Amino acid sequence: MSVADWFRVRGRSLQSISFSLHRLTGLVLFIYLLMHLSYLTSLKLGKEVYESLIATTVSPAFLPFDILLLLATIFHGVNGIRVVLNEFGIGYEARKAMLYAAYLITAILWIIASVAMYNFVVGVR
Amino acid sequence: MKVIFNIRRFDGEKDYWQSFAVPVFRGMTLLEGLFYIKENLDGSLAFRASCRMGVCGSCAVKVNGKPVLACETQISSVNSSKLDIEPIDNFRVIKDLVTDFEGFFRKHEAVKPYLIRNDDNYENPVELIQTPKQMKSYYTFSLCIKCGACYSVCPAAATRSDYLGPAAITAAWRFIADSRDEGKEERYEAVCGDNGVWRCHFAAECSEVCPKKVEPAKAVQKMRIRTALHAIKKVIL
Amino acid sequence: MRVHHDIVIVGGGLAGLRAAIAAAEKSKKLSIALISKTYPIRCHSVCAEGGTAAVLREGDSFDLHAWDTVKGADFLADQDAVEFFVRESPKEILRLDNWGCPWSRTEDGRIAQRAFGGQSFNRTVFAADRTGFHEVHTLYERTLMYPNIVRYDEYFMTNLVIEDGAARGIIAIELKSGDLVLFEAKAVILATGGAGRLFGFTTYSHQVTGDGMAIAYRCRVPLKDMEFFQFHPTGLVPSGILMTEACRGEGGYLRNKDGERFMERYAPERMELAPRDVVARSMWREIIEGRGIESEYGPYIALDLTHLGEEKIEERLPLIREAAKKFAGIDPVEEPIPVRPVAHYTMGGVHTNMWCETPVKGLYATGEVACISIHGANRLGSNSTAECLVFGRVAGEKAAEYALSTELRHVDDDIYREEEKRIFDEFLGRSGDESPYQIKKELNEVMDSSFWIFRDGNGMKEGFKKILELKERYRNVEIADNTRKFNTDMIYAFEVGFMLDLAEAVAAGAIARTESRGAHYRLDYPERDDENWLKHTLAYYTPDGPKLEYIPVTITKWQPVERKY
Repeated sequence: MSVADWFRVRGRSLQSISFSLHRLTGLVLFIYLLMHLSYLTSLKLGKEVYESLIATTVSPAFLPFDILLLLATIFHGVNGIRVVLNEFGIGYEARKAMLYAAYLITAILWIIASVAMYNFVVGVR
Repeated sequence: MKVIFNIRRFDGEKDYWQSFAVPVFRGMTLLEGLFYIKENLDGSLAFRASCRMGVCGSCAVKVNGKPVLACETQISSVNSSKLDIEPIDNFRVIKDLVTDFEGFFRKHEAVKPYLIRNDDNYENPVELIQTPKQMKSYYTFSLCIKCGACYSVCPAAATRSDYLGPAAITAAWRFIADSRDEGKEERYEAVCGDNGVWRCHFAAECSEVCPKKVEPAKAVQKMRIRTALHAIKKVIL
Repeated sequence: MRVHHDIVIVGGGLAGLRAAIAAAEKSKKLSIALISKTYPIRCHSVCAEGGTAAVLREGDSFDLHAWDTVKGADFLADQDAVEFFVRESPKEILRLDNWGCPWSRTEDGRIAQRAFGGQSFNRTVFAADRTGFHEVHTLYERTLMYPNIVRYDEYFMTNLVIEDGAARGIIAIELKSGDLVLFEAKAVILATGGAGRLFGFTTYSHQVTGDGMAIAYRCRVPLKDMEFFQFHPTGLVPSGILMTEACRGEGGYLRNKDGERFMERYAPERMELAPRDVVARSMWREIIEGRGIESEYGPYIALDLTHLGEEKIEERLPLIREAAKKFAGIDPVEEPIPVRPVAHYTMGGVHTNMWCETPVKGLYATGEVACISIHGANRLGSNSTAECLVFGRVAGEKAAEYALSTELRHVDDDIYREEEKRIFDEFLGRSGDESPYQIKKELNEVMDSSFWIFRDGNGMKEGFKKILELKERYRNVEIADNTRKFNTDMIYAFEVGFMLDLAEAVAAGAIARTESRGAHYRLDYPERDDENWLKHTLAYYTPDGPKLEYIPVTITKWQPVERKY
């Protein structure tokens, strides 16, 4: 088994698939963090540069990416809380229920946040 | 009815897939299927087997991606007319389905998996008192057969070959939870290192695949809290 | 390659592990090698289920346990050894307790005991129905505490080295690399287990092929009482997996197709808890006389636990429930378990005295491979694990004493080279037109038909002829795999060779013994004959087949009487 096998689905339960997704979303968030920091750094080059960057990315064309980023963020957060609880020995017996609950909560939060995001991006114009 | 056994083979140099058609009868186990191949089709097929009743832990193999004990898996229960059979992951393959357990057992040894008592008296042992309730607190964890299934699916073990792994930590916990034991401190030291409990990220797949329902993930989490408390105590006192 | 140790123990089961601990306790200076064909926790001892007999409580006594054992053995047991055995057994239980064995407990936290066949007191100590499993794991874990025990896991013994009438070591193949290793030692302990896979319908693990027995036999160490082979009454149909005697100890019934508890006709007093030979014979008679229950896997008897209730079964017999569900698709809480008598234990074995010493100096045998003999013609349930513990210790201590008082003598290079030539030049990858698997299958068929529970002269002679025929065919055996690493094909061929020799010894002993005693029951001689046959059989290997001799049974307190249950 290598790192590549982290993302193998066959024969594995939702438990370890969630582990893999957690790693994957963590990676996505890390890349986003780098982007975010470089945006902020661009302020040093002048307000115009920063605003042009914002203008291109906060736009309907980028909305699908934003929504996917939201999904990654929410999953990573909710699943992270689940794992922290489990790792402190809380709710081991209920770990399956907690897992399903994590997905459910992720889905609900994602829908709410997506709607808000849509209104923000599309509504501004 | 015939079922295709598609086996991942390894002869020491190259690995390849080979298919065998095995006639299957009702109630036939995977291990009986492997023996059928060895006895009738290809004597050179190597796999481990001993008790064929699920207590010796020899015959863990990966079937369609999931580790199982070959002896207690009914071919019909896999629900497929083609079985992909591979050696379990995270172990070095020696030949065909036989993997190297040397390191696995070394890790088990490293956690001091034996009862430690200050009054150990070889010549004149005495009866120790342990109520059924006290026994219950560790009994499940004592059922580990060291088949390696948990270790083979552990993502932490996949990236750190020195990670102690679910089975070894469970063994440590089994003795820590035993009311007769007096060696807890030594064992905390053994499992809290860089290669110990903190490598676990609770994928919990170990508990999913354990054929004996030993719940290694539970043992590891219990162990984490204890070692954390132990570390805090050590700093304060 | 050549390594040397003070003591070499072959076999990583209960007896071997116990011997290693005993020797290590004796002296820290001794270097002890523990060699096993599988990893020690994969040994067959883990399959022991029911329990371990020991006198622990008020109301029981050493004499009572000894008497039960001697009577169970149909008076063929050596009584001095039995008396020693029953006295030592309780201490072993407590040792295991101190080492972490999760013995089942009574409510007040003391070690619990259960009823067992042929034992007239509830003296069987148990760990649910996984007694052997927990004992092996406890001992294995204990061995990790001794730095002077060196383990060699997955080494297959091919030969013993005996020079000038003394054991000098063993030769084994390291399976992983395929290398041949010569282990030089002052003392050698054989603890390789029984010869169970001689039979087709058996409770034994695949690995139990009598290697140690056969190798010792070929090295001219005599085998004792090989004709006595125990048939356990309750093997799961169709796989033969053991359904422990504790099922009946906890109150289970045996029923025929009319639902009758037929044991009241054969053993009115002890019923289902008569010794194994009696119960197995009764069941077989029911089956032969057409009162078995028909199934696609042949007739069987019903082992009924349904009246025990789910709670008791879960607490006391969890493994049985799991196995019945997994391997027969039956939940014993709701339905009776289909069972049939099944080959289970080799009473005979390498001839030793009560200190586990074989006729060869420095060579010891203990556990099932040895015939000490405390089991005589029929072993009582829960005495075998006890034997492994008690006599494992004895062998370890005796070997340690011997090793401390002798010097290591090196083995000549020629011996190693000869063995290397025999295995890798002549045996490995040889071509022929006989498959070892086919020979083994036919051997199983012969044993299952001619040397089963009911034997008779003509049938056995037929069987003997067939065994000789198979031996002849074996000379032309083919080994398909010609690589060195983990060559299970070659190992299998070795094992079949061992089993053929052992089958011959079983057959010769059984044909010669014209009486019925314990597990050896002959339709043509249905009575016990103390006048002529109250003696042990010794089988010596010769190239022309086994040569039989007889030695007397040691009797201390108990003269043979009629055996009734």
